[in-house]
Amino acid sequence: MFRPRRQDWLALAFYAVGFAVLHRLAAYWGGSGFYSLWFPAAGLRLALLWRLGPRLTPAIALVEIAVDVILTPAVLEGMPWTVAIWGIARPVLAYGATVAAIGWLAERRGAALLTAPMPLGLALVLAPLAAVLSAVPQALTSPELTGVSSPREVIVSLAAFAVGDLLGTLFIAPPLLWIADAVSGRARWRWPLPSLLAAVETAGVLGLGIGLARLLDQAGLGMQPAPVLVAVAWIGLRFGRAAAWGALLVVVLRVLPDTAGAMDTPERLQRHLALATIVVTGYLAGSFADAQATARAMLERRDRLLFQAERLKTLRAMSVAVIHEVSQPLSTLAIEARHLHQLTAGRGDEIADGAALIDRKAEHLATLIRRLRRFGGHAEGAPQPLALTALVDMVATLAQAEAREAGVALVIAPVDPAWQVMAQEVELAQAVMNLVRNAVQAAQGDADPHPVTLDVTADETQAVIHVINRASARPVARDGMGIGTHVARAIVEAHGGTLTRMHGPDGMVHAALSLPLIETR
Amino acid sequence: MPLRSPDPLAPATVHVLDDDADLGAAVARMLTRQGFVAKAFDDPAALLAAYPGQAAHAVVTDVMMGEWHGFDFAERLRALDAHVAILFMTAWPNTAHAVDSVRLHGGVDYLDKPIDEARLCASLRDGVAWSTASRATARRLGELSPRERQVFDLMVQGHGNKAMAGLLGLSPKTIEDHRAAVFHKTQTQSVAQLIALSR
Repeated sequence: MFRPRRQDWLALAFYAVGFAVLHRLAAYWGGSGFYSLWFPAAGLRLALLWRLGPRLTPAIALVEIAVDVILTPAVLEGMPWTVAIWGIARPVLAYGATVAAIGWLAERRGAALLTAPMPLGLALVLAPLAAVLSAVPQALTSPELTGVSSPREVIVSLAAFAVGDLLGTLFIAPPLLWIADAVSGRARWRWPLPSLLAAVETAGVLGLGIGLARLLDQAGLGMQPAPVLVAVAWIGLRFGRAAAWGALLVVVLRVLPDTAGAMDTPERLQRHLALATIVVTGYLAGSFADAQATARAMLERRDRLLFQAERLKTLRAMSVAVIHEVSQPLSTLAIEARHLHQLTAGRGDEIADGAALIDRKAEHLATLIRRLRRFGGHAEGAPQPLALTALVDMVATLAQAEAREAGVALVIAPVDPAWQVMAQEVELAQAVMNLVRNAVQAAQGDADPHPVTLDVTADETQAVIHVINRASARPVARDGMGIGTHVARAIVEAHGGTLTRMHGPDGMVHAALSLPLIETR
Repeated sequence: MPLRSPDPLAPATVHVLDDDADLGAAVARMLTRQGFVAKAFDDPAALLAAYPGQAAHAVVTDVMMGEWHGFDFAERLRALDAHVAILFMTAWPNTAHAVDSVRLHGGVDYLDKPIDEARLCASLRDGVAWSTASRATARRLGELSPRERQVFDLMVQGHGNKAMAGLLGLSPKTIEDHRAAVFHKTQTQSVAQLIALSR
């Protein structure tokens, strides 16, 4: 779990360089009892953890220890080396734990607060606070290690730590993650390019906030954050994270140069505290607005799915009615065709051949109608032992027509009739159908499409249904809702099985549906 | 009108009931070719009206027939003839109906359309055999007098002569006579055979 993967090494190397540069840059906002009031390296750290996962926490801690010890060997002086190393690693561990906890909570999807991108917003705010909390025991028991003596200085140093990290995470991590997403093609720019009106409103509100703050300052009330805070909250709630971050960039660029270098610590701390308040509020407001937009989009998508489901329901009812209407006359035709076939069997002429053909086709149609009706019927009843050969047979009947129409060959290997699983037949057939249909659609589009293979293998306990296709170089646009695989996965998991999809280096896509076999003897 | 049971030595008689007259006729013709004496009906009421004069070993009935449900028809038919085998066929099969057809309505089989001929014929042969055996049993038991019937019922429950004499207020000698009559009329030799007959 703690071992970095191959592609992680490159990221860690970049991190080492970035951390060294940003760590050094932060020294301009330093003071006694704390390293810096603006610690951009924290943002880099959080971005890396968020992007590659908290499993990298130990590796990141080692990188930071190495960089610190190499660049500033003085960190090891004045205290036992174990304490110094722990002091460097502790915030990294706190960050990792926070990211892991938020990831775990977000997966449960219980709370409205955890709709994307709120988890990131919370991580940006909570990780620095967790790091400060983790420092409290040492600050209280041995304050001399950080060069502070009085309780007041302890509080100041912890507050400075929190402010420095908050400004670092909130300000550096979001753009880094956006850039990473854009570079890797993962970016989904949900927000449209800002309209002129929105830009004017943003600039106007921000200008008003900053102007009011200056007015208050000139009136002798000091640097009051309230006007700017309201302005960025407004911008965040109206236009989302990107706009909020842009506004915050303006605010931070106005404040940071003033507070760098020779400014006394209390005043610098006060200004950065105010700045942190503004940045936290603005960013969370933007995240909340984006989360609302995401939730709205999800609702719209669900509505569309419901409409789709309703249409499918109607279609199903119509299909069942048609099947019924067809099955009555087909029963008569099949019986008479068989009789005609038997009557003419010995003649050896065209009439006999025609009667045999009609009998065969009627029987084929009758089989098709029975299977279609079983598939279209209500998925009812408890799971029953199901021979995989019957399942594959059903899927083959239903999928062949679609594959033929798409110009894709469907290769079905023979299945051992002894293999049985406990299953709700119609549901499981639906799952395999979805996979085959996806495979056919994915293979479609080439001049000479690669065939789709449906194959079953088994060992002593598990049967695996394989659906294999080659992804087309020019995939055909699909008109589905893109939920076939999700439905298949849900069905398979309800049957106590698993569904995996692997993309091979040769362009082959391999879906494997594993189900527990049942004892047949 | 008393029910005129089919002749046990005659070929198996089957009525086919479907509101689609073409299908009913096709199934009846097919069954005729398979050696059954088959007649098609397209109206449940007509079949029920004609049935006392021409009872069958088995009836193959559709389930959904306009205003008639196959199960209601089966109930009415069963009231007319307790020994007729009933098979259901349907274009709207579902599990609940399949279970009910056998458990509640004494169906021999429940087939979906288009009909599987081999299965229909096999099930019909089972049904005819059951119907024939059921009628033979009823006929043999029908020859017993009321008193002999009482003795028969007690015998198959395992009562001895003395016990039966006590229960029925008769002398053991009379009970002996009734026992002999029961064995003679039912053409059996042992209590075990009687018990088999009573089932």
